Amino acid sequence: MDVVNTSAEHPEQPGPGHHKEGGGQDTAPLLAQVARGDQTAFETVYDQFAGPVYGLVRKVLRDPAQSEEVAQEVMLDVWRTASRFDPARGSATAWVMTIAHRRAIDRVRSESAATAREQKLTPDPVTGDDVAELVETALDRRRVRRCLGALTPLQSESVKLAYYGGYTYQQVAELLKVPLGTIKTRIRDGLIRLRDCMEVSL
Amino acid sequence: MSAQHHELHLLTGSYALDALNHQEQASFERHLSRCPACAEEVRGMREAAARLGMATAVTPPAAMRARVLAAVPRTRQLPPGPAGGGRRAALRRLPLGRTGLGAGFLALAAAVAWLAVGQASTNDQLQQARASRDAVAAVLAAPDAHVATRTASVGGTVTAVISEREHEAVITTGGVPSLTAARVYQLWVITSGGTATSAGLLQATSPGLTSPALAAGVQAGDQLGITVEPAGGTRQPTTKPVVLVPVTD
Repeated sequence: MDVVNTSAEHPEQPGPGHHKEGGGQDTAPLLAQVARGDQTAFETVYDQFAGPVYGLVRKVLRDPAQSEEVAQEVMLDVWRTASRFDPARGSATAWVMTIAHRRAIDRVRSESAATAREQKLTPDPVTGDDVAELVETALDRRRVRRCLGALTPLQSESVKLAYYGGYTYQQVAELLKVPLGTIKTRIRDGLIRLRDCMEVSL
Repeated sequence: MSAQHHELHLLTGSYALDALNHQEQASFERHLSRCPACAEEVRGMREAAARLGMATAVTPPAAMRARVLAAVPRTRQLPPGPAGGGRRAALRRLPLGRTGLGAGFLALAAAVAWLAVGQASTNDQLQQARASRDAVAAVLAAPDAHVATRTASVGGTVTAVISEREHEAVITTGGVPSLTAARVYQLWVITSGGTATSAGLLQATSPGLTSPALAAGVQAGDQLGITVEPAGGTRQPTTKPVVLVPVTD
Protein backbone atom coordinates (compact mmCIF):
# COMPACT_ATOMS: atom_id res chain seq x y z
CA MET A 1 0.00 0.00 0.00
CA ASP A 2 2.59 2.49 -1.11
CA VAL A 3 0.92 5.68 -2.17
CA VAL A 4 3.94 7.74 -2.48
CA ASN A 5 5.69 6.93 -5.63
CA THR A 6 7.53 9.47 -7.65
CA SER A 7 9.99 8.62 -10.37
CA ALA A 8 12.61 11.21 -9.53
CA GLU A 9 13.85 12.83 -6.36
CA HIS A 10 13.83 16.58 -6.29
CA PRO A 11 14.53 19.01 -3.50
CA GLU A 12 11.29 19.98 -1.86
CA GLN A 13 10.34 23.23 -3.39
CA PRO A 14 7.06 24.13 -4.92
CA GLY A 15 7.03 24.61 -8.67
CA PRO A 16 5.54 27.65 -10.30
CA GLY A 17 1.88 28.11 -9.55
CA HIS A 18 1.96 25.51 -6.81
CA HIS A 19 -0.77 26.21 -4.33
CA LYS A 20 0.48 27.07 -0.90
CA GLU A 21 0.76 24.23 1.63
CA GLY A 22 -0.91 21.73 -0.62
CA GLY A 23 -3.91 23.86 -1.46
CA GLY A 24 -5.10 24.94 1.96
CA GLN A 25 -4.36 28.52 2.77
CA ASP A 26 -5.71 30.25 -0.30
CA THR A 27 -8.88 28.25 -0.46
CA ALA A 28 -10.63 29.55 2.66
CA PRO A 29 -11.70 32.90 1.10
CA LEU A 30 -12.77 31.03 -2.03
CA LEU A 31 -15.03 28.79 0.04
CA ALA A 32 -16.63 31.88 1.56
CA GLN A 33 -17.42 33.05 -1.97
CA VAL A 34 -18.77 29.61 -2.85
CA ALA A 35 -21.02 29.79 0.22
CA ARG A 36 -22.53 32.96 -1.25
CA GLY A 37 -23.38 31.10 -4.46
CA ASP A 38 -20.38 32.13 -6.57
CA GLN A 39 -20.15 29.43 -9.25
CA THR A 40 -16.90 30.78 -10.72
CA ALA A 41 -15.24 30.48 -7.32
CA PHE A 42 -16.57 26.93 -7.13
CA GLU A 43 -14.91 26.07 -10.46
CA THR A 44 -11.57 27.16 -9.00
CA VAL A 45 -12.18 25.07 -5.89
CA TYR A 46 -13.21 22.16 -8.09
CA ASP A 47 -10.01 22.35 -10.12
CA GLN A 48 -7.95 22.51 -6.96
CA PHE A 49 -9.55 19.52 -5.25
CA ALA A 50 -11.11 17.21 -7.84
CA GLY A 51 -7.76 15.40 -8.30
CA PRO A 52 -7.06 14.77 -4.62
CA VAL A 53 -10.70 13.94 -3.90
CA TYR A 54 -10.96 11.47 -6.76
CA GLY A 55 -7.54 10.04 -5.90
CA LEU A 56 -8.41 9.47 -2.25
CA VAL A 57 -11.86 8.02 -2.92
CA ARG A 58 -10.38 5.71 -5.51
CA LYS A 59 -7.58 4.70 -3.18
CA VAL A 60 -10.17 3.60 -0.63
CA LEU A 61 -12.86 2.16 -2.90
CA ARG A 62 -10.70 0.81 -5.75
CA ASP A 63 -13.61 0.58 -8.16
CA PRO A 64 -13.28 3.41 -10.74
CA ALA A 65 -16.99 3.78 -11.53
CA GLN A 66 -18.01 3.81 -7.88
CA SER A 67 -15.18 6.19 -7.07
CA GLU A 68 -16.28 8.64 -9.71
CA GLU A 69 -19.81 8.58 -8.36
CA VAL A 70 -18.63 9.20 -4.79
CA ALA A 71 -16.11 11.88 -5.84
CA GLN A 72 -18.92 13.72 -7.63
CA GLU A 73 -21.04 13.59 -4.49
CA VAL A 74 -18.11 14.97 -2.50
CA MET A 75 -17.57 17.91 -4.86
CA LEU A 76 -21.30 18.68 -4.79
CA ASP A 77 -21.16 18.48 -0.98
CA VAL A 78 -18.44 21.11 -1.07
CA TRP A 79 -20.78 23.37 -3.03
CA ARG A 80 -23.79 22.54 -0.88
CA THR A 81 -22.18 22.83 2.53
CA ALA A 82 -19.56 25.57 1.90
CA SER A 83 -21.33 27.79 4.44
CA ARG A 84 -20.47 25.26 7.15
CA PHE A 85 -16.72 25.60 6.58
CA ASP A 86 -15.17 27.46 9.50
CA PRO A 87 -11.53 28.52 8.99
CA ALA A 88 -11.12 28.74 12.77
CA ARG A 89 -11.60 24.97 13.01
CA GLY A 90 -9.06 23.87 10.42
CA SER A 91 -7.81 24.40 6.89
CA ALA A 92 -9.93 24.21 3.76
CA THR A 93 -7.84 21.25 2.65
CA ALA A 94 -8.63 19.33 5.83
CA TRP A 95 -12.31 20.23 5.47
CA VAL A 96 -12.60 18.99 1.89
CA MET A 97 -10.49 15.89 2.42
CA THR A 98 -12.46 14.97 5.54
CA ILE A 99 -15.69 15.11 3.54
CA ALA A 100 -14.08 12.95 0.85
CA HIS A 101 -12.75 10.39 3.31
CA ARG A 102 -16.03 10.14 5.23
CA ARG A 103 -18.01 9.67 2.04
CA ALA A 104 -15.65 6.96 0.89
CA ILE A 105 -15.82 5.27 4.29
CA ASP A 106 -19.63 5.46 4.32
CA ARG A 107 -19.60 3.64 1.01
CA VAL A 108 -17.09 1.03 2.21
CA ARG A 109 -19.11 0.27 5.31
CA SER A 110 -22.40 -0.07 3.45
CA GLU A 111 -22.89 -3.73 2.76
CA SER A 112 -23.23 -3.64 -1.01
CA ALA A 113 -19.86 -2.01 -1.36
CA ALA A 114 -18.34 -4.50 1.05
CA THR A 115 -19.11 -7.42 -1.23
CA ALA A 116 -17.94 -5.53 -4.31
CA ARG A 117 -14.68 -4.79 -2.54
CA GLU A 118 -14.07 -8.36 -1.50
CA GLN A 119 -13.71 -9.31 -5.14
CA LYS A 120 -10.82 -6.88 -5.37
CA LEU A 121 -8.86 -7.89 -2.33
CA THR A 122 -5.46 -7.76 -3.97
CA PRO A 123 -3.94 -4.40 -3.12
CA ASP A 124 -2.99 -2.50 -6.23
CA PRO A 125 0.03 -0.31 -5.77
CA VAL A 126 -0.35 3.13 -7.24
CA THR A 127 2.42 2.29 -9.70
CA GLY A 128 0.14 -0.19 -11.40
CA ASP A 129 -2.76 2.23 -11.71
CA ASP A 130 -3.92 3.42 -15.07
CA VAL A 131 -4.48 6.90 -13.68
CA ALA A 132 -1.97 9.71 -13.89
CA GLU A 133 -0.61 11.23 -10.74
CA LEU A 134 -0.84 14.98 -10.64
CA VAL A 135 2.38 16.89 -11.02
CA GLU A 136 1.04 19.63 -8.74
CA THR A 137 0.94 17.26 -5.79
CA ALA A 138 4.43 15.81 -6.23
CA LEU A 139 5.54 17.88 -3.27
CA ASP A 140 2.79 16.39 -1.09
CA ARG A 141 3.76 12.89 -2.17
CA ARG A 142 7.42 13.39 -1.35
CA ARG A 143 6.62 14.87 2.02
CA VAL A 144 4.15 12.13 2.88
CA ARG A 145 6.60 9.44 1.84
CA ARG A 146 9.37 10.99 3.91
CA CYS A 147 7.15 11.40 6.97
CA LEU A 148 5.60 7.93 6.74
CA GLY A 149 9.14 6.59 6.46
CA ALA A 150 10.00 8.24 9.77
CA LEU A 151 7.36 6.20 11.64
CA THR A 152 7.89 2.75 13.10
CA PRO A 153 6.72 0.03 10.69
CA LEU A 154 3.71 -0.76 12.90
CA GLN A 155 2.69 2.91 13.20
CA SER A 156 2.99 3.42 9.47
CA GLU A 157 1.13 0.23 8.59
CA SER A 158 -1.72 0.95 11.02
CA VAL A 159 -2.20 4.50 9.78
CA LYS A 160 -2.14 3.42 6.14
CA LEU A 161 -4.58 0.54 6.65
CA ALA A 162 -6.98 2.76 8.56
CA TYR A 163 -6.82 5.77 6.24
CA TYR A 164 -6.22 4.32 2.78
CA GLY A 165 -7.71 0.93 3.50
CA GLY A 166 -10.82 2.32 5.16
CA TYR A 167 -10.63 -0.22 7.99
CA THR A 168 -11.77 0.34 11.55
CA TYR A 169 -9.03 0.09 14.15
CA GLN A 170 -10.51 -3.23 15.24
CA GLN A 171 -10.11 -4.57 11.71
CA VAL A 172 -6.58 -3.16 11.56
CA ALA A 173 -5.74 -4.98 14.80
CA GLU A 174 -7.08 -8.20 13.36
CA LEU A 175 -5.23 -7.81 10.07
CA LEU A 176 -1.93 -7.09 11.81
CA LYS A 177 -2.51 -9.64 14.61
CA VAL A 178 -1.85 -7.01 17.24
CA PRO A 179 -3.93 -6.30 20.41
CA LEU A 180 -6.58 -3.58 20.13
CA GLY A 181 -4.95 -1.34 22.73
CA THR A 182 -1.66 -1.45 20.86
CA ILE A 183 -3.30 -0.42 17.58
CA LYS A 184 -5.15 2.50 19.19
CA THR A 185 -1.85 3.76 20.59
CA ARG A 186 0.12 3.18 17.39
CA ILE A 187 -2.43 5.00 15.26
CA ARG A 188 -2.44 7.92 17.65
CA ASP A 189 1.35 8.10 18.07
CA GLY A 190 1.82 7.66 14.33
CA LEU A 191 -0.53 10.53 13.51
CA ILE A 192 1.10 12.80 16.07
CA ARG A 193 4.48 12.11 14.52
CA LEU A 194 3.10 12.63 11.04
CA ARG A 195 1.57 15.91 12.11
CA ASP A 196 4.85 17.12 13.57
CA CYS A 197 6.86 15.88 10.62
CA MET A 198 4.66 17.63 8.10
CA GLU A 199 4.99 20.78 10.15
CA VAL A 200 1.33 21.39 9.75
CA SER A 201 0.60 24.97 10.67
CA LEU A 202 -2.48 25.36 12.77
CA MET B 1 -13.23 9.24 35.27
CA SER B 2 -9.54 9.77 34.58
CA ALA B 3 -8.95 6.17 33.51
CA GLN B 4 -11.96 6.33 31.24
CA HIS B 5 -10.86 9.71 29.97
CA HIS B 6 -7.44 8.30 29.18
CA GLU B 7 -9.03 5.39 27.33
CA LEU B 8 -11.12 7.77 25.25
CA HIS B 9 -8.21 10.07 24.61
CA LEU B 10 -6.36 7.20 22.91
CA LEU B 11 -9.12 7.20 20.28
CA THR B 12 -8.24 10.65 18.89
CA GLY B 13 -6.11 9.07 16.14
CA SER B 14 -8.68 6.48 15.13
CA TYR B 15 -11.39 9.13 15.15
CA ALA B 16 -9.33 11.47 12.93
CA LEU B 17 -8.94 8.61 10.43
CA ASP B 18 -12.68 7.72 10.56
CA ALA B 19 -11.65 4.32 11.93
CA LEU B 20 -14.27 4.11 14.71
CA ASN B 21 -17.55 2.29 14.29
CA HIS B 22 -20.74 4.36 14.48
CA GLN B 23 -21.37 3.72 18.14
CA GLU B 24 -17.85 4.58 19.25
CA GLN B 25 -17.89 7.61 17.00
CA ALA B 26 -21.04 8.87 18.70
CA SER B 27 -19.65 8.45 22.20
CA PHE B 28 -16.29 9.91 21.19
CA GLU B 29 -18.00 12.97 19.71
CA ARG B 30 -19.84 13.41 22.98
CA HIS B 31 -16.47 13.28 24.73
CA LEU B 32 -14.93 15.71 22.22
CA SER B 33 -17.49 18.38 22.98
CA ARG B 34 -16.22 18.40 26.57
CA CYS B 35 -12.51 17.89 26.00
CA PRO B 36 -10.89 20.91 24.31
CA ALA B 37 -7.48 19.20 24.42
CA CYS B 38 -8.85 16.22 22.49
CA ALA B 39 -10.54 18.51 19.97
CA GLU B 40 -7.28 20.34 19.41
CA GLU B 41 -5.39 17.09 18.96
CA VAL B 42 -7.98 15.81 16.50
CA ARG B 43 -7.73 19.04 14.55
CA GLY B 44 -3.97 18.68 14.04
CA MET B 45 -4.43 15.01 13.11
CA ARG B 46 -7.08 15.85 10.54
CA GLU B 47 -4.59 18.23 8.91
CA ALA B 48 -2.01 15.45 8.79
CA ALA B 49 -4.57 12.98 7.41
CA ALA B 50 -5.54 15.53 4.74
CA ARG B 51 -1.90 15.52 3.57
CA LEU B 52 -2.08 11.74 3.25
CA GLY B 53 -5.16 12.31 1.11
CA MET B 54 -3.61 15.04 -1.03
CA ALA B 55 -0.75 12.68 -1.89
CA THR B 56 -3.15 10.33 -3.69
CA ALA B 57 -4.19 12.95 -6.25
CA VAL B 58 -4.72 11.63 -9.76
CA THR B 59 -6.28 13.16 -12.85
CA PRO B 60 -10.04 12.88 -12.39
CA PRO B 61 -12.25 11.72 -15.26
CA ALA B 62 -12.90 14.67 -17.58
CA ALA B 63 -16.64 14.02 -17.75
CA MET B 64 -16.89 14.39 -13.97
CA ARG B 65 -16.16 18.12 -14.12
CA ALA B 66 -18.94 18.75 -16.60
CA ARG B 67 -21.41 16.69 -14.59
CA VAL B 68 -20.63 18.40 -11.29
CA LEU B 69 -20.69 21.89 -12.79
CA ALA B 70 -24.01 21.10 -14.47
CA ALA B 71 -25.47 19.95 -11.16
CA VAL B 72 -24.30 23.04 -9.25
CA PRO B 73 -26.93 25.53 -10.48
CA ARG B 74 -29.62 22.95 -9.67
CA THR B 75 -28.33 22.27 -6.14
CA ARG B 76 -29.56 24.35 -3.25
CA GLN B 77 -26.89 25.37 -0.74
CA LEU B 78 -27.20 24.97 3.02
CA PRO B 79 -27.58 28.11 5.11
CA PRO B 80 -24.78 28.85 7.58
CA GLY B 81 -24.98 26.57 10.60
CA PRO B 82 -22.90 24.21 12.71
CA ALA B 83 -19.67 23.00 11.18
CA GLY B 84 -18.94 19.38 10.31
CA GLY B 85 -21.77 16.93 9.97
CA GLY B 86 -20.54 14.57 7.26
CA ARG B 87 -22.39 11.58 8.66
CA ARG B 88 -25.46 13.59 9.51
CA ALA B 89 -25.63 14.90 5.98
CA ALA B 90 -25.65 11.36 4.69
CA LEU B 91 -28.37 10.29 7.11
CA ARG B 92 -30.56 13.25 6.38
CA ARG B 93 -31.02 12.07 2.84
CA LEU B 94 -33.08 9.10 3.96
CA PRO B 95 -36.70 9.69 3.13
CA LEU B 96 -38.89 10.42 6.14
CA GLY B 97 -41.67 8.42 4.57
CA ARG B 98 -39.88 5.19 5.38
CA THR B 99 -40.26 5.54 9.12
CA GLY B 100 -43.26 4.15 10.85
CA LEU B 101 -43.69 7.30 12.93
CA GLY B 102 -46.97 9.12 13.12
CA ALA B 103 -47.14 12.27 11.05
CA GLY B 104 -48.37 14.11 14.11
CA PHE B 105 -45.28 13.30 16.08
CA LEU B 106 -42.99 14.27 13.23
CA ALA B 107 -44.76 17.59 12.86
CA LEU B 108 -44.56 18.22 16.60
CA ALA B 109 -40.86 17.39 16.83
CA ALA B 110 -40.09 19.50 13.80
CA ALA B 111 -42.13 22.39 15.13
CA VAL B 112 -40.45 22.25 18.51
CA ALA B 113 -37.03 22.09 16.88
CA TRP B 114 -37.84 25.07 14.66
CA LEU B 115 -39.22 26.90 17.64
CA ALA B 116 -35.91 26.42 19.42
CA VAL B 117 -34.13 27.93 16.44
CA GLY B 118 -36.51 30.85 16.37
CA GLN B 119 -36.13 31.52 20.07
CA ALA B 120 -32.34 31.52 20.08
CA SER B 121 -31.18 34.93 21.20
CA THR B 122 -27.45 34.53 20.73
CA ASN B 123 -25.39 33.02 17.94
CA ASP B 124 -24.27 30.22 20.22
CA GLN B 125 -27.83 29.33 21.07
CA LEU B 126 -28.72 29.47 17.40
CA GLN B 127 -25.88 27.13 16.52
CA GLN B 128 -26.90 24.73 19.24
CA ALA B 129 -30.52 24.84 18.18
CA ARG B 130 -29.62 24.15 14.55
CA ALA B 131 -27.29 21.31 15.51
CA SER B 132 -30.04 19.80 17.59
CA ARG B 133 -32.53 20.19 14.76
CA ASP B 134 -30.20 18.40 12.32
CA ALA B 135 -29.50 15.62 14.79
CA VAL B 136 -33.22 15.21 15.45
CA ALA B 137 -33.90 14.99 11.73
CA ALA B 138 -31.27 12.27 11.37
CA VAL B 139 -32.82 10.06 14.06
CA LEU B 140 -36.34 10.62 12.77
CA ALA B 141 -35.15 9.60 9.32
CA ALA B 142 -33.58 6.33 10.48
CA PRO B 143 -35.53 3.46 8.92
CA ASP B 144 -35.70 1.53 12.20
CA ALA B 145 -36.84 4.46 14.35
CA HIS B 146 -39.63 3.68 16.80
CA VAL B 147 -41.55 5.77 19.32
CA ALA B 148 -41.91 5.11 23.04
CA THR B 149 -44.03 7.29 25.33
CA ARG B 150 -44.09 7.20 29.13
CA THR B 151 -45.81 9.29 31.78
CA ALA B 152 -43.42 11.07 34.11
CA SER B 153 -43.92 10.62 37.88
CA VAL B 154 -44.03 14.42 38.22
CA GLY B 155 -46.72 14.71 35.55
CA GLY B 156 -46.55 15.23 31.80
CA THR B 157 -45.32 12.83 29.15
CA VAL B 158 -41.93 11.98 27.78
CA THR B 159 -41.64 10.76 24.21
CA ALA B 160 -38.55 9.16 22.75
CA VAL B 161 -37.83 8.34 19.13
CA ILE B 162 -35.20 5.64 19.19
CA SER B 163 -33.03 4.24 16.46
CA GLU B 164 -31.13 1.24 17.77
CA ARG B 165 -29.24 1.01 14.51
CA GLU B 166 -27.99 4.58 14.78
CA HIS B 167 -27.57 4.17 18.54
CA GLU B 168 -29.35 7.45 19.05
CA ALA B 169 -32.61 8.67 20.51
CA VAL B 170 -34.49 11.97 20.49
CA ILE B 171 -36.41 12.89 23.60
CA THR B 172 -39.20 15.43 23.79
CA THR B 173 -41.45 16.25 26.71
CA GLY B 174 -44.93 17.68 27.00
CA GLY B 175 -46.59 19.09 30.10
CA VAL B 176 -43.78 18.33 32.55
CA PRO B 177 -43.74 20.86 35.43
CA SER B 178 -41.50 23.89 34.99
CA LEU B 179 -38.55 24.04 37.38
CA THR B 180 -37.11 26.95 39.32
CA ALA B 181 -33.90 28.48 37.98
CA ALA B 182 -31.92 26.41 40.48
CA ARG B 183 -33.01 23.06 39.00
CA VAL B 184 -32.79 21.37 35.62
CA TYR B 185 -34.01 18.20 33.96
CA GLN B 186 -31.03 16.06 32.99
CA LEU B 187 -31.13 13.21 30.51
CA TRP B 188 -29.21 9.95 31.06
CA VAL B 189 -28.42 6.84 29.14
CA ILE B 190 -28.54 4.05 31.71
CA THR B 191 -27.12 0.63 30.88
CA SER B 192 -28.67 -2.62 32.08
CA GLY B 193 -25.80 -2.74 34.58
CA GLY B 194 -26.96 0.57 36.02
CA THR B 195 -24.16 2.79 34.69
CA ALA B 196 -25.52 6.25 33.84
CA THR B 197 -23.96 8.55 31.26
CA SER B 198 -25.24 12.08 30.95
CA ALA B 199 -26.81 12.96 27.60
CA GLY B 200 -27.15 16.62 28.52
CA LEU B 201 -29.75 18.93 29.98
CA LEU B 202 -33.26 19.43 28.67
CA GLN B 203 -33.68 23.03 27.60
CA ALA B 204 -37.08 24.51 28.39
CA THR B 205 -38.41 26.41 25.39
CA SER B 206 -41.70 27.47 26.97
CA PRO B 207 -43.62 26.33 30.05
CA GLY B 208 -44.12 22.58 29.92
CA LEU B 209 -42.09 22.11 26.75
CA THR B 210 -38.44 21.24 26.20
CA SER B 211 -36.54 21.31 22.94
CA PRO B 212 -35.76 17.85 21.50
CA ALA B 213 -32.68 16.37 23.17
CA LEU B 214 -30.38 13.87 21.53
CA ALA B 215 -28.95 10.88 23.38
CA ALA B 216 -26.05 9.20 21.58
CA GLY B 217 -24.38 5.86 22.27
CA VAL B 218 -27.71 4.20 22.99
CA GLN B 219 -27.71 0.39 22.96
CA ALA B 220 -30.30 -2.34 23.14
CA GLY B 221 -31.17 -3.02 26.78
CA ASP B 222 -30.38 0.53 27.89
CA GLN B 223 -32.90 2.89 29.43
CA LEU B 224 -33.27 6.60 28.94
CA GLY B 225 -33.85 8.37 32.23
CA ILE B 226 -34.59 11.93 33.29
CA THR B 227 -33.69 13.26 36.73
CA VAL B 228 -34.07 16.64 38.42
CA GLU B 229 -30.62 18.05 39.18
CA PRO B 230 -29.06 21.30 40.40
CA ALA B 231 -28.64 23.95 37.67
CA GLY B 232 -25.74 23.09 35.39
CA GLY B 233 -26.30 19.37 35.81
CA THR B 234 -24.27 16.70 37.59
CA ARG B 235 -21.90 13.97 36.55
CA GLN B 236 -24.01 11.21 38.02
CA PRO B 237 -27.71 11.21 38.83
CA THR B 238 -28.35 12.44 42.39
CA THR B 239 -32.11 11.86 42.41
CA LYS B 240 -34.48 9.09 41.40
CA PRO B 241 -35.47 9.34 37.72
CA VAL B 242 -38.88 10.94 37.12
CA VAL B 243 -39.20 8.71 34.09
CA LEU B 244 -37.48 5.69 32.53
CA VAL B 245 -37.94 4.81 28.88
CA PRO B 246 -36.63 1.42 27.72
CA VAL B 247 -34.66 1.60 24.48
CA THR B 248 -35.91 -1.76 23.24
CA ASP B 249 -39.69 -2.00 22.98
